[in-house]
Amino acid sequence: MRLAAAAVALAMAVTACAPSTTTRADQGKITLSVWGWGPEANYDKMFAEYEKANPGVDVDARSFTTATEYDTILSTGLAGDNGPDLAWLRAGANLQPLVEAGRLLPLDTKDVPGLAAYDEKVLRYAKGDKDGKVYGVPFAVQTLQVIYNKKIFADNGITPPKTYDEMISSAQKLKAKGIIPFAFGGKDDWMLPIVASIFGTAHWGGDDFIAAVKAKQKKFADPRFVEGIDQLNKLKPYFPDNAAGVSYTDAQILFSSGKAAMFPGGLWELNFFGENAKDIELGVFTPPVPEGQGLMPGFTDGSYGVNVKTRHKAEALKFAAWLASKDYGQLYTDTLRIFSAVPGVTPKDPLLGEVSTTFDRHGATYFMNEFAYGNPSSAAVFSKALQEMLLGRITAKQAAEQLDKSVSTWL
Amino acid sequence: MALGARRGQGGNGSSYLFLIPALLLYSAFVVYPLFTGLTYSFFSWKGTLRDSFAGLDNYAGLLSGSFLDQLLPALGHNALLFAGTMLVQNTLGLAFALALSRVRRGKRALQTMFALPYLVNPLVIGYLWTLLLSPAFGPVNALLKPLGLAMPWLGDPDTALPTVIVITTWQWVGFPMLLFSAALGGIPQEYAEAARTDGAGSWQVLRRITLPLLKPAMATVTILSFIGSMGTFALVYALGGSNGAPAGATDVLGLLFYRTAFASGDVNALGTSSALAVFMFTFIFGSTLLLERVLRRKA
Repeated sequence: MRLAAAAVALAMAVTACAPSTTTRADQGKITLSVWGWGPEANYDKMFAEYEKANPGVDVDARSFTTATEYDTILSTGLAGDNGPDLAWLRAGANLQPLVEAGRLLPLDTKDVPGLAAYDEKVLRYAKGDKDGKVYGVPFAVQTLQVIYNKKIFADNGITPPKTYDEMISSAQKLKAKGIIPFAFGGKDDWMLPIVASIFGTAHWGGDDFIAAVKAKQKKFADPRFVEGIDQLNKLKPYFPDNAAGVSYTDAQILFSSGKAAMFPGGLWELNFFGENAKDIELGVFTPPVPEGQGLMPGFTDGSYGVNVKTRHKAEALKFAAWLASKDYGQLYTDTLRIFSAVPGVTPKDPLLGEVSTTFDRHGATYFMNEFAYGNPSSAAVFSKALQEMLLGRITAKQAAEQLDKSVSTWL
Repeated sequence: MALGARRGQGGNGSSYLFLIPALLLYSAFVVYPLFTGLTYSFFSWKGTLRDSFAGLDNYAGLLSGSFLDQLLPALGHNALLFAGTMLVQNTLGLAFALALSRVRRGKRALQTMFALPYLVNPLVIGYLWTLLLSPAFGPVNALLKPLGLAMPWLGDPDTALPTVIVITTWQWVGFPMLLFSAALGGIPQEYAEAARTDGAGSWQVLRRITLPLLKPAMATVTILSFIGSMGTFALVYALGGSNGAPAGATDVLGLLFYRTAFASGDVNALGTSSALAVFMFTFIFGSTLLLERVLRRKA
């Protein structure tokens, strides 16, 4: 036992002393290491294009599939000398610890010209809150909407609803036939604000309301916001029984097995359903509200940042410039079936194209990511409050008040 | 020669020499991290960069309204888990041990079977039970439905913690059973025989002879259960996620620490979580010492 422990300690010491993976290879070829999460094969495929155009550079993508541990792995990596040259960064609040610690290189349009074309709404999530500098090239925009099963809709003579009443009557029709209208589970509480924003954003008036809350002119306990999150209570009859006890995975399976007709969720679900429910033809719509058109919330998912300690600063910045280019944006969208954050990219996938058009016309900011600060974070506090609301233990107004109380600790 | 001389002196010096490797490892992997954790808690942090000396600010943060609102319920859930473990798991463990002490054939096989689940990782057990208890697909509810007892066991705040206790019991019941079995084996048969000769019934033998003689084992089981309940993480994490779903009903100190340290996105997460870790260590260590004192005196 002791010998084994000593061997492990020795091995650790040896690895710690080993030179970084980003050393200059014999032929003068430079290796840029990139850390991220998600399937590695996709990145190898995309970065191969860059290697073709830049023969002197070898891009080594390393993916940490355990997304929850990624933050710890990255902050440790960047603090030491064996960190990557570039890395995926979280958006908004979760990016700030790395910025404040001075681990990242601020990027400007001189080095990364593509940044100039980005929408401020997108770029904001890659900025340091205190200094306002850009620390990453945003890679994806996620939108939130309802995904539906086209066959179930057609079999029951339903079309994507144009009005709120139509949505309710379609849901009633489905329920009468024994089909769960909305596959939604509230056991994994991060899903709750997402689904609340899908049905509620238009109720509280999207970005204008969020701006007013940030300017301390309005509170979340405002009747319009309360009405928005109360949608979860109003739609409860059309969720699975005991929705608060149904997990995210259960909800996914309810939809992919054809037991449920609709799935309110992020665009990333298209990938999952595309692979796990190949025979289901998918459609998307944005839920209408009594006043008419609904709003489609969206958020920047993350960005590529450059390690301040990189040994290949010039090459890393050149690669970052490529990541901000339309070439990469197109490659990203078509490879991953996710929106690239690069402006002006038109997805080849027709469904994605449809979402893109709606988002351009009726897009809004996903409110929760704007309020993910504090310890405990307001997002965690509010997710829990929504769960209690769904369980009928508190009212929508009380849930909104809990969010106000938490936000007041840091805003 | 020198060796022989030392041996002649009693060998105390050289026996300490053999402790050095263990001491080094223990210092490097236990004492040093504990100490750094303590020092971390007195600084404010910018991500992984140490900022300025913060004194007791991080500790004051633990007691601030919004954090305390999570800390107290979490601590309460740990305490309830401990109570549940004592009442259900350890009582059942004792009952199994007493029953098995009368079994002649297949005792070993039965013991192994009862103890088997604790060889499985709690994370695996957690995910397994989440599937079994799923309100949408779970076989447990499918069986209970005809009886009108189907419910979201892990999805209702009233049933979630009791369900966690039942699952913990299912996994760990073999452990108190083995300890009690060993202790029972150590009680000489003559005591019970003598009591029976004097006309004691089996209930009286159990109450007046067996149970009092099991007190040292009970003390051990109680202390180990306390430490286990206070430090629990993997099972609750698998059952209710890092927020202790539903609505924080299964939130415990371990989850709170995990959230604070790794999932909050707070710039000073390291400072706050280190202070929480020091608090947890002091609380568990202090309570254990106290518990041991009280129990040993009684035993």
